[in-house]
Parts: sequence; structure tokens; C-alpha cells
Amino acid sequence: MVARPWGRTRVLTALKRQHALIWAFANRDFATRYRSSVLGWSWSLVQPLAILLIYAAVFSIVFRVKAPPMGNGETSYAAFLFTGMVTWNLFSSLLTLSMTQLKSNGELLKKVQFPAWTPVLGASLVQLIQVLLELLVLVVMFLFLGNVGFTWLLAIPILVGTALFAQGVGLVLSIMNARFGDVMYIVAVVLGALYFLTPVLYPMSLVESQSEALAWIIKLNPMSWYVQAMHDVMYGLTAPSVIELGALVVGGFLVFWAGFAIFNRYSEDIGELL
Amino acid sequence: MTELAVQITDVGKRFMRNAERRNSIKERIVRGRARRADDFWAVRNVSLDIPRGSVYGLIGHNGSGKSTLLKMIGGIYRPTEGTITSDGRIASLIELGAGFHPEMTGRENIGLNGSILGLPRKEIAAVTDEIIEFSGLREFIDDPVKHYSSGMYVRLGFAVAVHMKPDVLLVDEVLAVGDEEFQRKCFDHLYSLRKAGKTIIVVSHGLGQLEALCDEVAWLERGTLLEVGEPTDVVASYLKRVNAEESARSPLPTALRPQDHEGGVRSALRVTSVQIADLEGRPINHAETGTTFAIRVGIAATEQVLGPNVRIALQHETGPLVTMIGNHRLGFDLGYVEGEHVVEVDVIDNPLLPGRYRVHVDVFDHTGSKLLDSWNDAAEFPVRSASGEIGQGFVQLAAEYRLR
Repeated sequence: MVARPWGRTRVLTALKRQHALIWAFANRDFATRYRSSVLGWSWSLVQPLAILLIYAAVFSIVFRVKAPPMGNGETSYAAFLFTGMVTWNLFSSLLTLSMTQLKSNGELLKKVQFPAWTPVLGASLVQLIQVLLELLVLVVMFLFLGNVGFTWLLAIPILVGTALFAQGVGLVLSIMNARFGDVMYIVAVVLGALYFLTPVLYPMSLVESQSEALAWIIKLNPMSWYVQAMHDVMYGLTAPSVIELGALVVGGFLVFWAGFAIFNRYSEDIGELL
Repeated sequence: MTELAVQITDVGKRFMRNAERRNSIKERIVRGRARRADDFWAVRNVSLDIPRGSVYGLIGHNGSGKSTLLKMIGGIYRPTEGTITSDGRIASLIELGAGFHPEMTGRENIGLNGSILGLPRKEIAAVTDEIIEFSGLREFIDDPVKHYSSGMYVRLGFAVAVHMKPDVLLVDEVLAVGDEEFQRKCFDHLYSLRKAGKTIIVVSHGLGQLEALCDEVAWLERGTLLEVGEPTDVVASYLKRVNAEESARSPLPTALRPQDHEGGVRSALRVTSVQIADLEGRPINHAETGTTFAIRVGIAATEQVLGPNVRIALQHETGPLVTMIGNHRLGFDLGYVEGEHVVEVDVIDNPLLPGRYRVHVDVFDHTGSKLLDSWNDAAEFPVRSASGEIGQGFVQLAAEYRLR
């Protein structure tokens, strides 16, 4: 006799055991994402590029924000902005997407027993394709600008850290949102504010010259760390210290691990909550 | 001792009342945590041993906790108290096609549903063809399921679920799937699963179906077990209770004939009322096949009438006259009648099969040739099954079989 598996699960074992199901959900989301639109996946680039264009125009022309110099000595506000945007989009899209997954898979979760986090991770996997596409555009942009360096390779651990961080928070928010429908609205507001408290639209140096207090607040925001690290390795072509880099990756993993544990702790009655 | 597929021990499930659920943070803050008084037990103190290889039925009223119990066995709900242990893979037919995505093709959905139900990829690939064959949807299998009819949808869902090689299959009211042919296919498949030693737990209101399919039936009422045992016995006592409750709640009104009615015949005797009653004379709202009941005909005679013949015709709702009975033919003499009386006609071991029957009443004088009064469509009453068996035709003849 085997007891029903309601018990807590270990992260890696669980991921390994359920990889087929995560993959199945990813496949579903991938297959259906743009199936009913004509331009399909190209839409996933149109939107961020349009926003990039608008922001670049508004902030460099109207607000006259100056970007710091690139690794090759020249400056490009658009490239600076897009580097930050790609990182921020990775964070905010994983978070928002994860948050709504339990609700959108509610009918299923109410009727069949399977680990509730599998559709969440599946959806995130598909979102990563979008991030890769944006990253590709960023790389092309830098190649065009002649700003290339080996520090680019460090973008991989930084982005992995960002994704794990976002997913950890996203898992917690998804279970909160299943319990309290208000969470997604609160998060939308908070994300909107957080975006401006992250050095995406402006370089840190600009804030430091204006307000010491504001600079401190921005530095307390974890997303600032990831975005700044990306600025360093992609735009400035400088490498952060090993400790800094390690902290971003380990931090991301810890947040994911904690988020996963919290999710499992509170998702046992998910069939009733939805 | 037989091996158990599922063992349920002292299981209870408590829910918060829906209206009292703290669904938003505001409510949670303003009103605090739910008080215990808002809770109710959907299932309580239920213990069941379900042997491997059996077909087990759960019956009870709506809201008696059957589906909650099934969901706990399936692991969707966690029992508040008690334990449920089970052996092997559980697949549920609780909602057919619950995992289907409308934009995806039937084939893609088979793969997805298989993964959700926990079958390894290789095994899914191995049974995909079988599933398509079983569902009979080969032509449409590469179309998005949003173009499927609801019948096609459940057929595919059923095909997927039963091919997931479950050790325990949970079935909730889904046996009425598709057309006659597909239903038969489903039943055949369930039988073959049972033959292969799989356990099937069925929730259904199709009592006849359950009687035919199950090895054992449990009757749940307000979340607790009332009776467990042989399907025929449990179903019979369940129906007895259901019928009795329904009768007590809403007896058929006595059909009263207005004083100044049109038609009929001017004579000294008038039929005034018709009523269906049980043997104690209490009005009921239906008769049961096989159970004696009474048709009570009220008559009023303004002067002495000698030996009237009260004839009752029963017409089936679909038109045919099923039978006509009269006291003269049956050898009952009512003697002299004057004033108001009730003629009680006991229909012994009611041979009428389930359906609705109309009552027509004619009264003739003692010679049998002169009509004293006639009331067409005096009343209508339903006959219900006491066993879950519906039967064919209108009557069940008292017959004995023997082999010589």
C-alpha cells in the first residue's frame, strides 16, 4: 500500500520526475500561443521593439537622458535601454505569467491530480523563447554598433539568476493569487513602480548625481543588481567580480528554492481553492 | 482475505461554506478568519474497503458527498481527517476531456492528457493509435478539438482515460456518453478492465446500470454511510427511502370534481374525487411497481343505489389502454349505496411498469347496462421503479419459470 503523495517534495527530484509533464505543458503553450494570429511569433518581437523605439525617442530626445559610454567608447542610449529592457522583461514576464497560471489551469487542477507547479514552469519555458529572441536582437544590435566582448558570456549566468529569481517570486505569487484574487492587481501596480526604481531607463550615475536617498532605494531593489550586471557585461563590456556574479546566481537559486517550497506547502488544497 | 485496492478509514472532509469564503484580502482583513460555525462536513466517518478487481458503486442524493469522496480517492481533495490508502495508478473519469485545449488537435490533446494523467511518453505513443481507434475519430484526429461536437469531445476523453492503464478507475456520472453504440463500447471496455483485475469506482444515479455493473454498492447520505452491501439490496433500500420521502413531501392532490361539471350523466350517483393512496390510506404521489397501492374513488349518491359497478380504466401516457377493472367482474358486490362513500380499490402487487397512467372512472348500475356517471381523465399518477429496473412494455406479469 502506498500513501497518496501529498507530502513535500525535494526540488531537484521533483523537477526530474515531472520533466515530461512540464514539457507537455510547455508544448501546449508553445503550440497554442500564436496559433490563431497570422504573424505568429513575430508578434513577440514587434511589441518590445515598438516600446524600445518609443522610449528611446522620448527619453533621449525629450528628457535628454545620456547613456554612459559603451565598452568601445561610444554611447548609444537605445542599446543601453534595450539591455535593461531585455533583463526587466525576463523578470516581469515570468512573474506575471506564473501568477495567472493556476487560475488559467483551474478547470484541470480541480479535476485531475498532478503537481500544480508543472503548468507554471511549462508556461515559463515558453516565455524563455521570447526572451531568447529579444536577446538575439540585442546581440545583433551590439554587433552592428561594434561593441563586442568576451564578457558577453557572463550574461548567461546573470540571466539564469534573473529567471530563477523571477520564477521563485512568481511561484509564490501564483499561489497567493489563487487564494486572493486581488494579488494580480496589486502586483501590476507594484511592478509598474518597480520598473522606474530599476535603472532601465536611466543610468545609475544620473540618480546618484541627483538624489543620494533615491539612489539607495534603487540599490535595495534586487532587480537593479541584475540589470546593472547586464549593463556591465553586455553594454560596458566589464566583468563584475566573481563574488557579485556568484551572489546573483546563488541568490536566484535560493529564491527559486524557497518559492518552490512555499508553493508546495500551500498548494496542497489547490483543488478546493480555485 | 482479498487484497484491497483502496482503503478508506474514518475519512471526513470539512468545507467552509461558499458564501463565507475569504476570497479577497479585504474580506480576510475585515472579517478575520472563518469561524468554525461556518464549516460543514461534506463527508464524515466513512470507512470503506474496496477490494482489488471489483466494481464499486456509490449512490446517494445530490450533495450526499459521493463526488467529494471520489475526489478524495483521486487525490484532488485532501481528507480533513482519516486516511485513504490506495494501490497503483488512479485515473479518473470525473470530467471527460478536462485537460483538452481547444486550439490543439485531437492527437496533440491525447499526448497532453496522457502526460497529465501520468503516463510516460513512450507508453502514450504506444496507446495513441488504440485511443484513436476506440474513439472512432480517426478522420478528425488532426483537427483542433474546438471543432469537435460535444459528443466527439467526451468520446475522445473517455478513450484517453480508459487507455491510461489505471489500476483504479474513478467514474463520476459519465456513463451516459455518446450514442447507443459508443455506450455499449464503453461498458464492454469497463467489463474487460474488470476482467483484467482493475478496480472501478462508480458514482451514478443510473441505479439499474449500477445494479448490473457493480459487485458492491455503498449508500451515502449527508456524508455518512447508510448501507454497504449487495447492489440489489442497497439499491432497493435506497429507492424505498427516496420514494417514501418524495411521497411524504408532495402527495398527489386528490382529484376533486367540481359540482357543476360539464358532461357526465344525470343520475342519483356522482363520482366526486379520485386519489392515490398507500395501504394505510395516506395519499402518495406515485405508485411503485410490485407494491400494493390503492385508488380511492369518492362517490356521492342522493338516493339508494343498488350494487353499482365502479369501473376504472388505466391509460398509459403514450395512449394505449392498459387495463380496465370493475367490481362486478372481480366479484365484489358493494351492496346498497347511499350518501358519501369512498370506494377503495387495492391494486395488489402493482403490476404496472414505470410510466405515467391516467385514470378514467365509469359507474354503471347493478345490471351493468345503465351508465350512472362517467369521469374521463379524473387523475394521473406516475409509477416508479422499486428496483431501478425500468422494464419493457406496460405491465409485469406475475409469472413463474421452471425447467422441466
